Formats: sequence, structure tokens, C-alpha cells
Amino acid sequence: MTFEPKILGFLCNWCSYAGADLAGVSRIQYPPNMRVIRVMCSGRVDPVFIFKALLTGIDGVFVLGCHPGDCHYLEGNYEAEKKFMMVQKFLNNVDFDKRVRLDWVSASEGKRFAEVVTEFIESIREQGPSPLSGENMDQELFNNLKAMENSVSSDRIRALVGRQRKITEVENEYGEKVPIDEFNDIFDKAIHDEFVRQRILLSLSSKVLSVKDLAAELKLDPSEILENMLMLKSRGEIDYQSIDGNTPLYMRI
Amino acid sequence: MSEKESEDVRIGVFVCSCGTNIGGLIDVKALAEYAKTLPNVVFTEDNLYTCSETGLTQIKNGIKNHNLNRVIVASCTPRTHEPLFRDCVEEEGVNQYLFDFVNIRDQDTWCHQKYPKEAFDKAKDLIRMGVARAARLEALENIIVDATPTALVIGGGVSGMTAALSLANQGFETHLVERENELGGRLKTLYKLFPIDLDAQTLLDNLKKNIKGNKNLKVHTSAQVKNIEGFIGNYEVVLEENGINIDLTIGVIVVAVGASLLTPTGYFGYDGKIRITQHELESKLQNNEVKAKDIVMIQCVGSRNDERTYCSSVCCMTALKNALIIKENNPESNVTILFRDLYTPGTYYEDYYRRARETGVIFIEYSPEKIPIVKEHQIKVHNEYLGEEILIPYDLCVLSTPLVSNNDNKALAQMIKVPLGEYGFFLEAHVKLRPMDFATDGIFVCGSAKWPVDITESISQGYAAAARASRIISHDTIEVEGATSFLPDYNKNLCTGCEVCIKICPYNAISKNEDDEIEITQVLCKGCGLCGATCTNHAIIIRHYTDQQILSEIYAYGGKEV
Amino acid sequence: MELNSRSVLIIGAGIAGIQAALDLGDMGIKVHLIEKNPVIGGKMAQLDKTFPTLDCSICILAPKLSECYRHPNITLYTLSEVNNVEGTIGNFTVDILKHARYVKEDVCTNCGDCASVCPVRGVPNYFDANLKTMAAAYIPFPSAVPPVYIIDKNSCVYLNYGICGLCAKACGAEAIDFSQKDEILEINNVGCIIVASGYGLLEDVSPLTNYGYGKYKNVVTALEFERLICASGPLEGHLKRLSDGKDPKKLAFLQCIGSRSDRDKKYCSSICCMYTTKAAMISYEHNNDLESYVFYIDMRAGGKGFQTFLRRGSDEYNIKYIKSKISHIDVDEDDTPIITYEDYDTSEIKQMKVDLAVLATCIIPSQGIEKLADILGIELNNYNFVKTNPFLPVETSVEGIFTCGCAREPMDIPRSVAEASGAAARAAEVIKGG
Repeated sequence: MTFEPKILGFLCNWCSYAGADLAGVSRIQYPPNMRVIRVMCSGRVDPVFIFKALLTGIDGVFVLGCHPGDCHYLEGNYEAEKKFMMVQKFLNNVDFDKRVRLDWVSASEGKRFAEVVTEFIESIREQGPSPLSGENMDQELFNNLKAMENSVSSDRIRALVGRQRKITEVENEYGEKVPIDEFNDIFDKAIHDEFVRQRILLSLSSKVLSVKDLAAELKLDPSEILENMLMLKSRGEIDYQSIDGNTPLYMRI
Repeated sequence: MSEKESEDVRIGVFVCSCGTNIGGLIDVKALAEYAKTLPNVVFTEDNLYTCSETGLTQIKNGIKNHNLNRVIVASCTPRTHEPLFRDCVEEEGVNQYLFDFVNIRDQDTWCHQKYPKEAFDKAKDLIRMGVARAARLEALENIIVDATPTALVIGGGVSGMTAALSLANQGFETHLVERENELGGRLKTLYKLFPIDLDAQTLLDNLKKNIKGNKNLKVHTSAQVKNIEGFIGNYEVVLEENGINIDLTIGVIVVAVGASLLTPTGYFGYDGKIRITQHELESKLQNNEVKAKDIVMIQCVGSRNDERTYCSSVCCMTALKNALIIKENNPESNVTILFRDLYTPGTYYEDYYRRARETGVIFIEYSPEKIPIVKEHQIKVHNEYLGEEILIPYDLCVLSTPLVSNNDNKALAQMIKVPLGEYGFFLEAHVKLRPMDFATDGIFVCGSAKWPVDITESISQGYAAAARASRIISHDTIEVEGATSFLPDYNKNLCTGCEVCIKICPYNAISKNEDDEIEITQVLCKGCGLCGATCTNHAIIIRHYTDQQILSEIYAYGGKEV
Repeated sequence: MELNSRSVLIIGAGIAGIQAALDLGDMGIKVHLIEKNPVIGGKMAQLDKTFPTLDCSICILAPKLSECYRHPNITLYTLSEVNNVEGTIGNFTVDILKHARYVKEDVCTNCGDCASVCPVRGVPNYFDANLKTMAAAYIPFPSAVPPVYIIDKNSCVYLNYGICGLCAKACGAEAIDFSQKDEILEINNVGCIIVASGYGLLEDVSPLTNYGYGKYKNVVTALEFERLICASGPLEGHLKRLSDGKDPKKLAFLQCIGSRSDRDKKYCSSICCMYTTKAAMISYEHNNDLESYVFYIDMRAGGKGFQTFLRRGSDEYNIKYIKSKISHIDVDEDDTPIITYEDYDTSEIKQMKVDLAVLATCIIPSQGIEKLADILGIELNNYNFVKTNPFLPVETSVEGIFTCGCAREPMDIPRSVAEASGAAARAAEVIKGG
């Protein structure tokens, strides 16, 4: 039996949803794999939603907004784009970045809507079913995506992506415009660090582990683990539980 | 933490056949049967045309007989039919926001015609998602605030005067604020007005007469706006008039502060004596001081260049106007206009251009790559058409300069919290759809404050701003759809005061109050959801598109909660 | 049919009429919006994208169309014209001639079954500048408002010969009604009237023979070109040479066709410099190999952001502007247009071969304006536009009758929208101020 991808689409009321309706009104045909959640603006799409969808085993997530400059709410699609790019940076770590897509479809582009949706469905078909769907779910992948969901839920990451446009296109608190490369360096590191931290927290949510245990489980350098554990400890999210010989064991608070 | 958890949620699902448009491809009866199996669904029905009178009656009967408190219609598209069904359920006592729509036609049967089985499965999924969402919907009331029926117009030039007069004529108490000690703006110093060579003073006197005679219109000259607080319908304005502070409660604000003249220092040897601006020429003409015989005018001085790329749109007509006056006073004079593209669009202006040609004004095109060189008594210009350089003697050289934005636009913009765009002019909400509005509701802009325009457009824009403003204060209250963003009391402890929401709101609807708490001005909120999607600690809730509602749809489709 | 409250009657439901209607409706004033076509939206609905923002025209128009249709204070009369006007400011009585649609407006579900069974094909669709045809049962474009089909009485075989009637049988909602007749509706207590009748195009009245229009397949008007590049138009946005279907490489845009001319119209059509650049940009977006040449006299771009738009055209979209005067157009044996022109910068007569020649034709007053002016008693100027004083831009020669937009002078959308609001303000002064 051929694999039929399960696709979730977030469509904005004013442009892409209208474009989808136009495709229907014009009787333009496309494959029936996508289910749509209607939002007012693509900027409403919280990155958490995308991870939640992937965690349920949905094979692909498509966010469709208005063309740049056309957003009914003036700037929503620009914000949607920044959030989406961040999601892809996370997903890059687990080769999942091609299972999500962001594109622009206007209310008059019925044909284009059908085309981009068809293309995305085919792309997912080629990538195969999500390892999180079906009987033998990839638990490690699940944990990774969960950690990513928690990362994009964290205040530091949300503050960075929420401020990105203002800081890089206008000015920061000190009246300086931060060059996009500089911002990306900071952001990329923050993404990486937060992901590691959330993975650590996830691992510690069900057991007590040492730095060495975590380094082995997450396949990372112990020094990197330690650095992040210290940060988590100072944030009050983990603490020592006991000592096994010379090795401290940590727990989640 | 909603009261809904204890309430009995009773959902009714109505599946439409839409004639054969849906029912012809998929089994709507079976869909209704399926819906019955979903949590919280107590009643389902399939209809032939749910939007018909019969269908609407069936919905009402369903609500009545089964005590429904949530209604779902699965049919065409909410974009055309949601308002109809919302009204219908309201009539039967169910809050319109407890209605939800599932699109199984425009986005299902109409575009999957070769896949009836898959279209049916898709409809099932969509209905399941809709039911999950509906269970979490909450009743909402529209936001209503008072609208004070007063207007403030900032700027007493022709545009501001026109806007103020129109508002006053419509019966609103209107305050016109002018910084100088007399109304008129640039009109005070103009001589004749194109394209019918009307005396500027005649127009000005007429406006002032109408203003004086209008009981609703209060003029404040030698006055400035000191402070503005509040929001649409409810602005607290402080004026300073002749040193005295005046407090006003204002419903709507119109910005009509006009533009400034550019002094072309450094261009073409400008000296204000023999090489002057059009404006200076106009004063001289008014006082009959122009004795020159060879006049050369240069267009696009300080505009359409790298520093200022725009065309100021009024300078060509101004040059023509003054050229015609010179020619009329002294038919023997030689008037030459050096131009790049002559801006005389439309019917009146093109006729005016022809008139100027007919009086013997000479037009020579120059290219921006070969700018004319103004020497002591001659101008060297590369005549594009002849392909040659020519020397034109002059005893008066007139430079046509653009209108530029006022230096104090920034201060005013910050006070009112509206944006400036290119070259410091005020930035409207949308060039075509809302040319007179700012993105912040309740504030409008007209005339050259927005972009250089001639008097005709200044006048029609003045009227336009008055119409846009009048829409707001023509009613006692301002009502806004209830699906707004808000920070509930029970989430206030989650707010870290990071202010990301303030910066991200395109409508300036979010601010911090005196207690340093985040306040979302409901009447300004458009419900886009950017703040909720960005809030660093998940404190802000987007009504009708809450995280819980959206997640329920995701889980319903994905098949599990994660 | 009588109505009681003092209302405003707006003639024409293009963007100007719609804007004025919405503004007045929002103020609480009752509006009667009269449109001669079966659907509202005017010329703006036919455009692909609009300058200077290149946003999709129907996308930004559609919400206004819906709002108009559903506004509690606006009554829409489509397929309607003003037949007679009596009275004076504050108290006009207007007779409207409402043509039969042959479809019940409150029953039709916009499903399109009637069109799919209609045996009459080949009816030219005005919406697609007659480049595409439709059935006798039709709606001009899918998202039209009102979302109701129409039977074209000129082409319908049932209405003309009493045979067929397949649409009535196919219509599940039983919306087809051949018994409908044209009717006169009387609207009383009209406080004032706004003329927003928009514009027509030169090609509607003039053959444009020295440009080969109508003779050479690859010579098209600007509106036809707009439909050709439109994603929802006859070619779905994939531009082709109309003679042989090949991809074009070179486009020519000829400005001031029939305008600024002693032979045709003396005035400047005002929007063509900008829309030509826009059209060339859209074409380039579809095909990066295209070269566009604009043959102009003066490039007129004084509005907000317009000069920047032009610069982008030449910097990024391979558009070259040639100051020139056009003589005429011939074709070679492949139907390829050859343009003969005087190059202004070198004073030489030259020729250029292009794949498609687009004529930026002059905007003229709307068809029927003379009859309308007669009925209303308003003066037209020497170009047959509604006569106004530049310092009373929205007043006509009759007190209480206002005007706005292209009915009075060629202008672009931002200006039309602003003037429409302006006319609404004046009308509001009359209704509210007394």
C-alpha cells in the first residue's frame, strides 16, 4: 500500500485560506492529504504548534501566509517567517527541516495554492512516513522533538525571535542596529544551547543521571553537558540528588 | 482555567449537502452519523442547503430542542457564510462565538473530485477537528468604548482648514490648532493658484470666513499640541495656546501639518537674489518686483536625485504658473524652462501646459547625467533633443525645489505614536486601501504632511480625512469584534515585563500603564495574534484562537495529545 | 418601492463608489449603490497587481466588496442604471432601471451548475477584456460580488427562442427565473447623489488603426495585457505571443496612445506611465529573459513611492525607457510587430521589432456619461468628464450632486479612494448638517 502523507496546513484567513477557497471555486484539483487549521494571520502560528503537530506523527506541516508586503495585519507574515526559520534551524539537527514549509499564496492564486500544496505533498511522500507515526515510534527522535518544543517555549528563545526584526532592522535598546550576521551568531548559539538544556531536562525528568551518563546518552562532549548543567542549576531547574562514589548525580527540580 | 470545564458542553453538528456540491461526492448522512460519535456532540443533522431559510430553521430547532450551546456547520466556507450562521445562532440565544465552521466544500469536495473516499475521510477529520475546537470555544462580547464626538485637527493650512470645516459642518465640536498666529499655512504667501490662476487670498479669505461663521469650529492660533494620551474615542489632549494650557477630550485626531520648502543652498549658485526659488519669485511677482527680461527656470532642483529620489509633483505646475504670469506682465520677456520630465498629468494640467507653450515659453529637456551649469549671466545646458550644448543668457534664474517634510514631524510622530515613512513624511496605514488612516485607529493624516500634493488634492484629502474620522465619532460608541488579545488577571504573574509584545504589535495596541503593567487596549486590537505567538512566557491569550483551541485541532488530527 | 430615511445615492460601484458607500455606511447614513454591471468592483477587479506596491488587486479589493455587500446601511442595485432624477439637494427622487438577472439573488448558491450545462458558449467575457469567452449563464469572475449568476439575455436561447432551459433544470436551488422583467424602482428622500461612474477606454470608441490594433494579433491594449499577465486570466499569467503561442522575448509599451494628442484627446491619461512600469515588472517576474521597452514622452510619477518604483523598474526588471514619438506599427511575415518611432535623444527615425506591443490607451469618460449628465442636470467639461472646480474638487454644477475619481479626471487608485472619502464627507455634511 502506498504511503499517503498526513499533512497539516496553517492557512491565514485573508490570503492563503482565500486562495484555497478560490482553488475550490475554480474546481482546480489537488491531492486530498492536507487538513487545514484556519488562523487570522500566519503570525499567529506559534512555533510550539509546529512541534506539537510533528510529535503526533503528522508527516508534514505547511504554513501559508500572505506575500511579503501584503499582510492584512501589516507585518504578521514577516514575524511568521522569522519564527519559521528558527523552527527549521532546530529541525536541522534531526534532519526534519524538510518536513515543514513556509510559503506565500495570495487570495487570487487558486492555481498556485494547488501547485504548492501538491508539491509539498509529493515531497513528503518521497521523504516517507514520519518516524514518529505508526507502531514503532522512534523514541529518541520523539525526545529530541519534545526538547525542541520546550526550547521554543522558553522565554530566552522567544525573546530572541520576537525581537529579531526590531533589533536587526531598526534598533535595539541602545539605538544601535545589530547586523544580521551578528544576530544570527548569537541566535544560533542560543538555539543550540537551549536544545541541549531541554534534552538534559527531559532525560532527568524520569531518572537521575551524572554528567557522564548524559554525555553518553545525548552523544555530546561532557564539558558541553557540564556547562549547560551549571546554567540549569543556576536557573533552579536541576540540582544534586546524591553522590555515587565521586560522581554527582543530578535530578530535575 | 475556564468556567467551561464544569459546564455541560452540548454540540450540534449540521452537515450540508449543498445540493449535489457536497452530497454528490460524499455521504453527508454518514458524516452526520460519524459526528454523533464524537465527544460532546449531542445532536447531528444533514441538510440539503443549510444556508436556506429551511436550513436556518433546522439549526434553530436543533438548538431549541436539544439545548445546544455550541453549533457547527460543515459546508462551504466561513469566508462567505460564517456571518449568516453566527446571526442565526444568536437569534436563538447562542453566542455567535460559540459557532464554528468546517469547510468541506471549497476545500474538500470541490477540489478532490476524483477521490470521493479520501474526500469523505478528509471531511471526517475536519469535523473531528472542528468538534474538538468547538468544545473549547468561549462566549465573547464585542468590545465597546465611548466615542467622544469631538475632533482635533493639527495644522491650519488649506488641508487642515478643509478637514476641520467638514467635521464642524457635520455637527462635531472641532478644534483646529495652528502654530502661527494666523490660519493659512502656505496659502498666506502664495500669489496665484494653478490651474485656474485663482487669487490665493480669495481662497484663503473664503475658508476663513466659513471657519469664522461656524459655531462648532474652535480655532486655536499661536498654539501647539503639548501632549496626547489615550486612544480612539478617548484622547486627553493638552494644548498650549499663547502660553496657557488647555485640556481637551478628543475623539479623533487629524494630522495636517503640511510640508516645508527646501532652501537650495549649494545648488546652481543659489543666492536668493538673482538665483531664487519659485516661492521667492512668487512673492516678487505679487509685489510687482520682477523686472527681468531673460528668465530661466530649472526643474527638479534637489529632487529626483540620489539624495531625494522623489518627484515633488507641484513644481512643474508652479513653474508654468509663474512663467505665465511673467509672460502676461511682459510678453516680450524670454522664459525658458529646463526640465527632465514635465509633470502635468490629467486634463486641467495638460491644458495648462499647452497654454504655457502657446504664450511662447520655451521648454528644453536636460538629462540628469548632464546637469545645467549656472554661470554668472549664462546657463550652459545640454539640449537633449538637439544633442548640443547651448548657452542661455539670464538675468533671473528660478530654481524649482521640492517640498520636504517638516523638521518637527519626528517629535509630533512620537507624541501621537504614529510612524514616519520615507523622507520623514507621515506613513499611512495602506497606500491604496486606507490612504488617510494611520495604522493606529482614530488618527488620520491629509495633505502634504503625508506627501507633496497640490491644493486640489490637499482639499480632497482634507475632506477625506474628515469622512474617515467622522465614521468613528458618528456613533456614541465604538464597537470592535470580541476576538481580541488580552492579558487575563490570572496570568499577570506570568508577565515578565519584557515588552516584546509592545514592540511587535502593528497597531500600537499594547502599552505599559502607570503601574508598569502591560495593557492591551482592546478597542485597538485587531486580533492578529502576533503578541500571543510571541509572548515569552505564554501570558497573553488570543481569544477565539487560543493555544488550547488550536492545539485541540492538532491533537484531533494527529490522533493523540502530546 | 419607497424608502424613508434621507439617504445618499451613489452611481457606480467601482473602487471610488464602494469607498464612498462604505464611509457613509460606517457613519450611519443609508446608501443606495447603483451599478450597471452585474457585479461590483469596476476596473480594479480586472487588474492583476497595482502600483506602487505590486499587491494583488483583487486581494485588497475583495474584503471591500464583501463589506459593501453585507453592510447593513448599503443597498446594492446591480444591473441597474439611473433613469430619472427629480428634486433638489436634500430631497431628490431617483428612478432606477433594474435589468432582469433571471436568477433569484437570495436563492442562488453560486455553485455554477447552470454555467456548466449551458449549451451557449463563445459569449465574450467583458471582464477578461473579451479575450476569453463564457456561457450565457455566467458570473464574470469566481469571487464576484454579489455571488450570484446571471443569464445574458442577448445570448440565452431560452429567452430569445423559448428553447433549452437546461440551467433551470440543473439548478438544485431553483434559482433560475426566466419570468423576471426589467423594472423601475423609485427611491425617495435621497439627500444627495455621488457620481462615481469611473472611466472607459479609448479602444471602446476608437479603432486605433495606425497602431494595427484589431488587425495585428500581437498588438494589444493595456487592459488586454493586464488580463494576459493575470494569474486568473486567459493565459493564467503565462505570457505568449498571441499569433503563434511562442514565448515572447521583447515587449514594447507605447505610451500616450490617443492622449496628449491633437488628433485624439489633448489631455494626459495620468496613470499609464505607472501602470506600464508595473505591467513590465509583472511580466519580468514570470519570465526573467524578457526585455521591456517603454516608449514615452514624459514619465509621470509624482505620487508617493512612484519615482522609486520607476528606478526599480530600470534597475531590477530590465526595463528601458526611450523618450520618443511613435509613428506607426507594421508587422513582418511572422506577425511580429515592427515599431517605427522618432528617438528623441538622437532625433533619428528608428524601427524596433518586438514580440508584443502594448498600447497604453487614453482613459475616457465612462460610456453613457452624457446621458447620465443629462438626467442629473450636471455639466460636463470639454472632455466630457464631470465638470468640477479645482478648488471644489468633488462638487458638480448641481448643488447636492457630488463626484469623485475618474468620473471627473483620470487618476490612480490612491487618489480615487481619497476623493471618494472626500465626496462622502461632503455628502455627510448635507445629510447631517442640514
